[in-house]
Amino acid sequence: MICQLCQTFIKQTPSLLQTFGMIRWQPNKLCQACQSEFVSISCACSGCGRQQNNESLCFDCQRWEKQGKILLQHTSLYQYNDAMRDFMQRYKFNGDYSLRQIFNHELIQYVNNMAIDLVVVIPISEYTMMTRGFNQTVGLFEGVTLSDLLKVKAKNKSHQSQFNRKGRMMRTQPFTVSKSLPLHNKRVLLVDDVYTTGNTLYHAADLLYDLGAKNVKSLSLAR
Amino acid sequence: MEEYYGRQLVQPKIKNVPAYVSVAATFNNHICQRCGQTDIEKLPNYHFYCRACLALGRVSSRDVLLSLPEPNLFDGHDILSWSGKLTAKQQEVSNELIATLKEKNEHLVWAVTGAGKTEMLFPVIHKALTQRYRVGIVSPRVDVIIELAPRLQAAFSKTDMVVLHGEQTQDYRYTPLVLATTHQMLRFKSAFDLLIVDEVDSFPYAGDKMLSYAVQQAKKATGTLIFLTATPTKQLQKRVRRGSLKTSYLPLRYHQHLLPVIKTTLVGNWRRKIPKQLVKQLTHFQRTEQRFLIFVPKVADLKKVYDQINKHVPHLKGDYVHAADSRRQEKVQAMRDYQLQYLVTTTILERGVTFPGIDVLILGADDTTFSENALVQIAGRVGRKNDRPTGLVRAYVQHISLNVVAAQRQIKQMNHRGKKLGGRK
Ligand SMILES: [Zn+2]
Ligand SMILES: [Zn+2]
Ligand SMILES: [Zn+2]
Repeated sequence: MICQLCQTFIKQTPSLLQTFGMIRWQPNKLCQACQSEFVSISCACSGCGRQQNNESLCFDCQRWEKQGKILLQHTSLYQYNDAMRDFMQRYKFNGDYSLRQIFNHELIQYVNNMAIDLVVVIPISEYTMMTRGFNQTVGLFEGVTLSDLLKVKAKNKSHQSQFNRKGRMMRTQPFTVSKSLPLHNKRVLLVDDVYTTGNTLYHAADLLYDLGAKNVKSLSLAR
Repeated sequence: MEEYYGRQLVQPKIKNVPAYVSVAATFNNHICQRCGQTDIEKLPNYHFYCRACLALGRVSSRDVLLSLPEPNLFDGHDILSWSGKLTAKQQEVSNELIATLKEKNEHLVWAVTGAGKTEMLFPVIHKALTQRYRVGIVSPRVDVIIELAPRLQAAFSKTDMVVLHGEQTQDYRYTPLVLATTHQMLRFKSAFDLLIVDEVDSFPYAGDKMLSYAVQQAKKATGTLIFLTATPTKQLQKRVRRGSLKTSYLPLRYHQHLLPVIKTTLVGNWRRKIPKQLVKQLTHFQRTEQRFLIFVPKVADLKKVYDQINKHVPHLKGDYVHAADSRRQEKVQAMRDYQLQYLVTTTILERGVTFPGIDVLILGADDTTFSENALVQIAGRVGRKNDRPTGLVRAYVQHISLNVVAAQRQIKQMNHRGKKLGGRK
């Protein structure tokens, strides 16, 4: 095997359990050195999944609550450090689609262990699809059945005249629902590549709650 | 418009293309039209991209290649502002290169380390520029480009020049003179009337199909290609012997002294215990304040050897450096500025970088990482100063190594030729 990030050769020795087929043999995608650069999130804010010393709500999540949001109880697998920034640069911005495999197995495992009814992916715009050629989140979660319920809204259709709160929300809401799918009593998981401010995910969650979702949680590779 | 002259630039199909630019497909039969390779990786929706040339920005089936023919819109009023003098032998080689330019041919310059090959190039570059030719000088190694840039700009101070490589962000401009890493040639198409490839035998150019394709594509079909090296690969040597590659030899250094030979010392397992012969040598360096490099086979050896030196010869001030070292340029500069007496290093400093007047030690020279040519290059770091044209090159080995013997023989052969030209010890 060759490390997918630095191309050095990796020696692979399956453990005893793997040799006898007791657990699945999953060859490493990364060498030890590259793997060690990525830091898991060990203890996090129970609202947004950011690494901190305790599980109490961080300042940002308290603000979301004040705005009347139901918290997403977001989980991220890794901290958004230099190694993750470099990974995202190569995968998403340089468009090296093959790198989606690096964290794929881990993400699938995580989703499979959650009590949910539907996984909805954060969409990308038509323009990004025509240039990047892939939805980076769909790539990361390849193998999970994803719903494409959400679409990015076409631009230049802002209704400036509405001044109430709902109107303002409509203006900043980047997504729209592509098909009318009743979500009554459904537990929905939203997936994205990186959790940054939470804006994107909370906008998406608004639409899902409007469709009747029972609850909406979220998961991303990095935070 | 200028930015497309002799270039091939990637752009998504969905973006607007200026009317005057010619548009080409990015793939033909799954062959990448930028780099000529078939290292295809899939994208969703039956699209795909090229992994071979990904480092220069992705080429995918959702893109097109934009270019315009090279029109040579230069004034040709170029002045050679270099006022040095070539030796008789340098002059001879220089004349041969000017002849090659006329014949629009391929040519190899086989010149020993420290022969002054850059200066030898100035007349042919000047000749090309005054004919409104576009001239490219490339090397696989970014260190070589960084060191060459100020010298070239000084020699052609009135000529507009752009320097292109991955470790900087100078914007591309349309210029008659281009200094770049070989990778950058992937962005050019039929641009250069004269293209010079320095250190043609070095990594990653040697044996890399994509880079030799890039160089061939970047020059015009009628262009002249000049290769430079002190240590040609077996392949190049074969072409020389068969007579399919015109060659100029320069077996003597510009200061007319012969190359330093590699001396060997047999030692025990140096990874377990620092050899006493080495400690003795280092103590001598400490006393004489002689500056030096220590080459080791592996990155993992660097710190260990450095720590051992500090333990046994504590007052020597040095550092260690390797290819992926984020402070590499900084450490090399500190050595240049005489803030350090020595560097422990891997083969990355085997060429391109010159510290005048240094000595060189090679610890574990029998390790396979030191090829014959690498050892010749390392030995070539020594004796590069007019007032210290010789110096010490000592290889510490546990076993007699064929590569060391071959390197010693290669240096001897060059010195044999050099002596005939009047070379001194
Ligand atoms: Zn790696
Ligand atoms: Zn939080
Ligand atoms: Zn390519």
